[in-house]
Amino acid sequence: HRPFYNSIQTCSSGLLKYALKIFSNLSSLQCEQIIQHLNHKIPGVNTVELCQRLQTSGIEVNVGDLAKITNTVSFLFSTAARNNLSTEELITALGSTVNTLPKHAIQVIRHVWNEQGKSVGVSEDKGNMSTVGQFVDIKWKLGVAMSSDTCRSLKYPYVTVALKVADSSGQITNKCFEMTVPQFKNFFRQFKEMAAVLETV
Amino acid sequence: MAAAEQQPPAVDGGKALSALLGGIAQAAYYGKVDITEELLRGQLYPEAAPEEFRALRAKMGGLLQSIASADMDLNQLEAFLTAQTKKQGGITSDQAAVIAKFWKNHRVKIHESLVNQSCWDNVLKNMNWRVDLKSQSRHVDQINTPVAIVEMELGKYGQLRGEQLVTGVGICLCKSIAHRDTSGPFF
Repeated sequence: HRPFYNSIQTCSSGLLKYALKIFSNLSSLQCEQIIQHLNHKIPGVNTVELCQRLQTSGIEVNVGDLAKITNTVSFLFSTAARNNLSTEELITALGSTVNTLPKHAIQVIRHVWNEQGKSVGVSEDKGNMSTVGQFVDIKWKLGVAMSSDTCRSLKYPYVTVALKVADSSGQITNKCFEMTVPQFKNFFRQFKEMAAVLETV
Repeated sequence: MAAAEQQPPAVDGGKALSALLGGIAQAAYYGKVDITEELLRGQLYPEAAPEEFRALRAKMGGLLQSIASADMDLNQLEAFLTAQTKKQGGITSDQAAVIAKFWKNHRVKIHESLVNQSCWDNVLKNMNWRVDLKSQSRHVDQINTPVAIVEMELGKYGQLRGEQLVTGVGICLCKSIAHRDTSGPFF
């Protein structure tokens, strides 16, 4: 299990410890989300939403940290899967990190790996996919800018679009941008063309 | 006759004033920051004393700003300029004519510039797409699934290069975007 040990070494032990501790505090539903992402069943883990839910249940964590944690845990599980580790081997391989974790954290990792571990497939070659994320959702809003400090009579309509995109590691981010109405018409016309091409291919 | 103050002499008053308005617009609305007062004076009103020219530039700049801020239509413009010709220290009717002609020609462009200046969020600078066919995949059911790859460049107005965002879009999302309700007033 040399490759797995090496992989563990590349994660800083502090981050790994923190990650596992928080991970073990996630509900089983949330653990499942990460595993399902590894199985390519869902496009990504909604870090922002997950963070809000954790904070409501009293766990102090910010979005940036949670993103690192999701990455670390995903990485851990996928590496373990690639090396075909059993639950005990996984726990042993985590080594000293595990010793300092609270008992229930180990139980959660054990449980998750028992239940879901076998179904985690080995991920396909991400070489040419590393920069391509996945569109998850789109929302739009039409507004009219009436006035500003440089122009009393602006009166121009514009469309704000909010995209939810999952990057190749599964992190979901929100991108927001504005378009004038002609730009928006062009934008949605492009998607119409795309849909037409997708149907005929 | 309006009580107009002593105007700085110029070779061809109308042409020079028109060019002055152009210079003011370049600096204020078209982003040409290197158009200085000195440059304008030297080129358009070389006989004028600096203080006189400064006063003229300030007055014309102020008028243009009022007109641009209200995005005046022709009626509003006429009323506004007429009022200016009747004011103490206002403008001559010749100057009013030059200003009116300038605004008619530049209104759309100046308004567009003001609109862009008020846009502080990211804008979509560029968008390209292509359709790929997945030829191999871990999941058998994904083979031969076409996917659209969309590349969007998002950035702030005036920024040279924005952030590149490349995403794959499946057929479902494409269709749901393309077939949104388009019966509203803007479509």
